[in-house]
Amino acid sequence: MGKDSDKQETGKFTDSKYYTNRELSWILFNKRVLSEARDKQIPLMERVKFLSITASNLDEFFMVRVAALKDMMNAGYTKPDIAGLKPVEQWELVNKATHELVNLQYSTYKRSLVPLLLSNGLRIIEQHEDLTAKEIEYVDRYFMENVYPVLTPMAVDSSRPFPLIRNKSLNIGALVKKKEGEEELEFATVQVPSVLPRIVPIPSEKKGEKVIILLEELVERNIDKLFLNYNIVCAYPFRIMRNADFTIEEDETEDLLKEIEKKLKKRQWGQAIRLEVESGIDRRLLKVIRDELQIKDEDIYQIDGPLDLTYLMKMCGLEGFGHLKESGYASPQPVPELSEDCDIFEEIRRHDILLHHPYQTFAPVVEFIRRAAKDPDVLAIKQTLYRVSGNSPIIAALALAAENGKQVSVLVELKARFDEENNIGWARMLEKAGCHVIYGLVGLKTHSKITLVVRKEEDGIRRYVHLGTGNYNDATAMLYTDVGMFTSSRPIGEDATAVFNMLSGYSEPRSWNKLALAPLWLKDKFLYLIARETGHAKAGRPAHIIAKMNALCDRDVIAALYEASAAGVKIELIIRGICCLKVGIPGISEHISVHSIVGNYLEHSRIFYFENDGASEIYCGSADWMPRNLERRVEILFPVEQPDLKEKVMHILEGELKDTVKSHVLKSNGTYEKVDKRGKPVYNSQLEFSLEAKEAARMSQTKVNERVFIPETHHQ
Amino acid sequence: MKTFAAIDVGSFELSMKIFEISAKMGMREIDHIMHHIDLGMDTYATGKISYGRVDELCRYLNEYTQIMKSYKASEYKAYGTSAIRETENTAIILDQVQQRTGIRIEVISNLEQRFLDYKAIAFKGGAFNQLIEKGTAIVDIGGGSIQLSLFDKDTLISTQNLRLGVLRIRDYLNHLDVGRAQYGMLIGELVDSQLAVFRKLYLKEKQITNIIVVDDYISHLMQKKFVSGETAGQVEVEAFHQFMRQLQEKTPQELTHAFDMPEESVILLYISYLLLSRIIAVMDAKQLWAPGVTLCDGIAYEYAEKNKIILPNHNFEQDIIACTQNISKRYRGSRKRGETLEKIALTIYDSMKRIHGLGERDRLLLRIATLLHDCGKYISLVNLGECSYSIIMATEIIGLSHIEREIVANVVKYNHLEFEYYDDMGRQSMLDKESYLKIAKLTAILRVANGLDRSHKQKFKNVKTRLRENELVITVETNEDITLEKGMFNHRAEFFEEVYSVRPVIKQKRTL
Repeated sequence: MGKDSDKQETGKFTDSKYYTNRELSWILFNKRVLSEARDKQIPLMERVKFLSITASNLDEFFMVRVAALKDMMNAGYTKPDIAGLKPVEQWELVNKATHELVNLQYSTYKRSLVPLLLSNGLRIIEQHEDLTAKEIEYVDRYFMENVYPVLTPMAVDSSRPFPLIRNKSLNIGALVKKKEGEEELEFATVQVPSVLPRIVPIPSEKKGEKVIILLEELVERNIDKLFLNYNIVCAYPFRIMRNADFTIEEDETEDLLKEIEKKLKKRQWGQAIRLEVESGIDRRLLKVIRDELQIKDEDIYQIDGPLDLTYLMKMCGLEGFGHLKESGYASPQPVPELSEDCDIFEEIRRHDILLHHPYQTFAPVVEFIRRAAKDPDVLAIKQTLYRVSGNSPIIAALALAAENGKQVSVLVELKARFDEENNIGWARMLEKAGCHVIYGLVGLKTHSKITLVVRKEEDGIRRYVHLGTGNYNDATAMLYTDVGMFTSSRPIGEDATAVFNMLSGYSEPRSWNKLALAPLWLKDKFLYLIARETGHAKAGRPAHIIAKMNALCDRDVIAALYEASAAGVKIELIIRGICCLKVGIPGISEHISVHSIVGNYLEHSRIFYFENDGASEIYCGSADWMPRNLERRVEILFPVEQPDLKEKVMHILEGELKDTVKSHVLKSNGTYEKVDKRGKPVYNSQLEFSLEAKEAARMSQTKVNERVFIPETHHQ
Repeated sequence: MKTFAAIDVGSFELSMKIFEISAKMGMREIDHIMHHIDLGMDTYATGKISYGRVDELCRYLNEYTQIMKSYKASEYKAYGTSAIRETENTAIILDQVQQRTGIRIEVISNLEQRFLDYKAIAFKGGAFNQLIEKGTAIVDIGGGSIQLSLFDKDTLISTQNLRLGVLRIRDYLNHLDVGRAQYGMLIGELVDSQLAVFRKLYLKEKQITNIIVVDDYISHLMQKKFVSGETAGQVEVEAFHQFMRQLQEKTPQELTHAFDMPEESVILLYISYLLLSRIIAVMDAKQLWAPGVTLCDGIAYEYAEKNKIILPNHNFEQDIIACTQNISKRYRGSRKRGETLEKIALTIYDSMKRIHGLGERDRLLLRIATLLHDCGKYISLVNLGECSYSIIMATEIIGLSHIEREIVANVVKYNHLEFEYYDDMGRQSMLDKESYLKIAKLTAILRVANGLDRSHKQKFKNVKTRLRENELVITVETNEDITLEKGMFNHRAEFFEEVYSVRPVIKQKRTL
């Protein structure tokens, strides 16, 4: 076969008709989350939480993805995407789909959740008009004491320009008329203060019932108190979303930090891309807002219910509804290999250790750094931090280590989306403690998760490495499923040192032992691994790929998968979110299946299995098969080589493929459906993993106890 | 266990390796940090290293110091090579660097640098010892020049520098503005004439089977097993050529991807290959080995050897002597006379140990001086001293530092000429007092030894010495007439007495 026919062959797999647009695929993902909110099998408060998640997901989607589409349209950019759609075409489809999604959100809210909450003793007063006299007395007093002092009402007339409406803020817009003088209508607005809780509890008259009202209703009710010289014609809540997807021009700025701080302030000023208003809003009022914000009709969402459903997350936290929450899942369990009083370094020396969060606790990772901070033999601690929790124990441990004279290098990624403000704060704190803080690499986002502890031992330097698929965030580690590995393997230790040398700005090493890094080597590695399976299949040997990730949208990787499938490789994908690959295309993707698990925990680990003709290889890493991961981020892929660890990781993949409860399957028509349960045992992989972790912890606990001598109490 | 940092302040890269060194475990590299910094560009183009570069150098050296501290490295060595050596303001820059970073950079000569590379190769042990049993050449391809070293029966016998480094050639080709297709032809023309001379003068009929390659590009491919036999770094010449021929069909972009190499390096790889293939052709070698050593490895090895943490597995002194003997041979020195002189001089040296207080290394210098004591006669019998001095100063003797070479040259010179005292000698050279004293002490010994063999007939079969209070009794065993020697001896003995306050006395012992 010549080169030309080779090209034709690959060309066959890159045809845009074989690909799904990523935004549409994302909306399908959010629909899967929404389906959890609609699932009657799930405890009520969990359903409420899922609905809240779909709302915050959608907000982010607008600010980043829709904003990007808008930018492209504004710039007259017409290059088609992976699925052959131009930005305008994508936007039209996305717009239609988001409107449908929002309708579904609110029908879920109003028809299912609100009535169910009421029957479970939580009454939401949807409109202030529904308040009883006694309640009115309470809320008006609450308003005057707590809300009124922090409000900043703003009226618009010829001398006062239209005020800035802040991104994502909730506002009450009103049409007002001067009490004396002209007949002309004027626009007035007031922001519902974000510093006050959105949910206002009202003392209930009925026993066992909780009553709440939303803050904006109080503001709306009392709006006449804000504009004393005016008559209020009408008042309705509205909310806008602005373009927030900025790219930081790293080459052009001296100080990255300052630039981001600057951008953060600027973010409020972006172009308005979505306007949410209460349905039934006065048409004159809507026109004023629409014209001022220069927003198109298609971008206006008339909402039948409260704007911004993210408040539901807070509602899940209300006291007294614990029985409506998920309780079948065990809390994160101790790791059998790492008992509380063990010497963590000794255990790692003995054996690589795999952690599976959140079924197993994240505590050993924190403990690892904490011990290292205090251990007199530890010389250095190096870590990449992407998103950390507020008040992170890891940050505290790192600061302590620096104070103890260890060399502490921390790469802090400031470019983590929406987290910059948070990150800058603790980065400064680490610097003060004496840590060497590196603020990311020019042009690249550092997404890899790696910790290196260098210890001087009797027989020389020994390196302890933790590699993971999730961020060093003890809070999300209780919600995200991730895999982590401790190892003291020398080749990996050397690579880890090289990684940090590179991140510190030194040249790349002459060669790598075990780790594969994006953006330089990782994509090629994946393409190579996939092609190797293709080769096996072509030669008639068994060939099998199982890959689990959050998103799949890299054209080259998908084309390679198509080619592999066409050659007969069995490919099982477990993809939580976006998937631009299509299944069941004759001659292209008949051997590919896509599962998507949306469950109690957020699926987050990335695991890759390649059968390799019996000499199977398993990798874990921080990268999805997305161009941004493979080409514009620093990512690490690490092999899991110890046989018992491989087995454990394999068990994760197999368990998820077996899932019949939380798993959706991609159909050849592009939709997702729940797994057909017929003839299969009921299997909820997340629940099973949770039970297994509990059992494993219990077993190891018993083992410890068995060592205790139990005196005989009965004489036989 | 020692933790040691080796820093190489190179022409285009500042690199540091951290080693753990112990007698039990040998040398273990625990970190390798590299930073690209173009000191060479400044030096070669303007003769000076610019302020900006010095600043960059200091900044990185300060960071390196932090890294050293983080490993609790107890000692370090920092060596500067050609970019530092050839810059006009070397002393100022070194001082500035030391003031700002605390790092003392020592400047080493080309040959010292190559010798360290060589030591690093030799330290690789097994493969090296096996290879050099057959005819072997080390081809050390640097940015500015190539060093060709030849082995004969496990001893290094000669080494030559050709100004044909990869960067130098690249700049030259850039200047000519030619396409890649013409590189082969042009490099052939540039290189072959010099290689022909090398062949005629040094290679002669020697059979070279193996070539050991030291470079930054080909080694990379061989170490990473892109091309190699069963052991990483080793490959048959035939297979190597075949592999490289395939590469020529690919674009630099493709190669960049295939080898994880920056595109710039791909061009240098290509030049490196073309150079190497000319050398392979001239030597008709069969086997290649790229041990993948760097100067840092050599620096660490030198440190370990000096501090007696690691015992050498190869006799480097023998290499130095063999090379010197070859130099002597080239200038038609008499091997026999050299050996006689060496024997006498060393006998005296050893018996004077208590008085001169010099060490093993100085003994080696004396040996070299005896071997080269009359090389100048190749040019002129009258100006023997001056000519010998000039020859030695112009000849690279592997394993010797610049100062050591100057000591040898001076000892040889003052063996023939009236000794000049420090104030006079210092006027012409940068020699320090310590080196000056060494020259005086070694010259005194060489003069006496030379006096004992004035007739060049090697009359003395056996020479014995005994130190007795203020006299050094030299007993010579011979039945021949030694009037000439005795006559010359008194004159030569004066300088010896002046230096040591010991008078040499000659005694003849006749044998039956």
